[in-house]
Amino acid sequence: MSTRDARSSPAARLLSARPRFRFAAWALSIGLALAVIGFAAATQWKGSVARQEYTSSAQQVLAAQVVGLEQEQKSLRDRLANADRQVQTFQSASAGSQTTLAQLNRDLAAARLAAGLTKVTGPGAVIEIADSKRPVPAGDNPANYIVLVDDLHDIVTALWASGAEAITINGERLVSTSSIYGVGSSILVNTAFLSPTFRIEAIGPQDLLDRFLANPAYLSARVAHRIDAFGLEFATQQSGSLTLPAFVGNTRFRWAVPEGS
Amino acid sequence: MGSRIAQLSMSGVALLIGLLLVGQLRSQARPTEISTLSAQDLSTLIETLSDRNRELRSGLSDVQEQLREYRLAETQGQSALDVSREDLRRIAAFSGQTAVIGQGLILRVNGELDPIAVNDLLNELRNAGAEAIAVDQVRITAGSVCVLGTGTLEIDGTQIGRSFSIRAVGDPDGLLTALQRPGGIITQLKLFVNATIDASQAQSVEIPATREDLQPRVAKAVP
Repeated sequence: MSTRDARSSPAARLLSARPRFRFAAWALSIGLALAVIGFAAATQWKGSVARQEYTSSAQQVLAAQVVGLEQEQKSLRDRLANADRQVQTFQSASAGSQTTLAQLNRDLAAARLAAGLTKVTGPGAVIEIADSKRPVPAGDNPANYIVLVDDLHDIVTALWASGAEAITINGERLVSTSSIYGVGSSILVNTAFLSPTFRIEAIGPQDLLDRFLANPAYLSARVAHRIDAFGLEFATQQSGSLTLPAFVGNTRFRWAVPEGS
Repeated sequence: MGSRIAQLSMSGVALLIGLLLVGQLRSQARPTEISTLSAQDLSTLIETLSDRNRELRSGLSDVQEQLREYRLAETQGQSALDVSREDLRRIAAFSGQTAVIGQGLILRVNGELDPIAVNDLLNELRNAGAEAIAVDQVRITAGSVCVLGTGTLEIDGTQIGRSFSIRAVGDPDGLLTALQRPGGIITQLKLFVNATIDASQAQSVEIPATREDLQPRVAKAVP
């Protein structure tokens, strides 16, 4: 391309345009960007105000109590986990016959592993389920389009039935006393209040996920129907290595007396 | 220099736009957060969380008592093996490896329940604070679930007939109230299943040990 032609190209004309024109274009771009920022900020602020206006003062008081109880729960769980670790330290350092002590510690380790009181690792499956993104048709029940207690319960049941050896829901390890409990649209697992997306991790055989997806306990479950009918978001993944935390909670009996005690 | 400043400015503006848009999208997610629950749901949640926190406090108190026993044994020059043996018995009972006995509840079921109904009953008993549960002679452990076997219900490979009992050790009043509350599991099941479910409190409920090997084959302990 000749020098004369380069000078006459549109790009060249723009580059050689008077500074006033370049400034105007620049100002327009910045102005547009700032307008978008302003719009997004205003929408977000308005949304926040709307949610606060929605709740009555009574609900705000109750909500504050719930937050306080959750904070207390976190503190109790941390203290419990710490105290359990101290117990284990005493157990491994106990005086007495070394042979007896060694055997007792092996038995304790095995008992903790069997009970879900030990962090574990292994291959397995990951399942995530979340609320449907479909708009709720007029006249339909909005509760159909969110993840419910029964959905989690069905998934966990099918995983156990497929050979899972350890399962967590959003980090909550399931043990012999674990329940999945609903309060309105909220879900509690063990003592923890959980929100979607619900991530269920399970350690088990290499083909755990295949077994789960083919298991009648899943195929005939309520959740399988609801995923299809209402579009609950559902994703699965096989994993070569998962690490699941130990159960944190009360393992002491108030009513049951173990045999031999 | 001028163009460098311009580039930085545009990057900053783009970042700010991105942050705000993400915030906006997130705020449109389902309002599971507490502030959007009804007053009734919040009250129920408070009651539930209070109960759970009470359990945790009780458990913490017991562990602290156990620590005191270990420290006392240490100061008195005694072996702490007995404390550890008791802990072993407790953990084994918790998992289901040893039998337990105590006050609780007995459900007598007669009729056509499906696996979902049985599993829902077990979940409700756990939620009501059952410390140990058995269906007939099958100890319910973490992984025990009811499935449809060949023509009949099964739990841990053991067939469960049309008539069976579910026994649970725990607070008898708490268990009974939870199961029989209006809109509770027994009320719901009576609407949908062709079965009778009779619940009664008992002073002595025996829960056997599991026959399953609870040691995992795949999951390994993380040191």
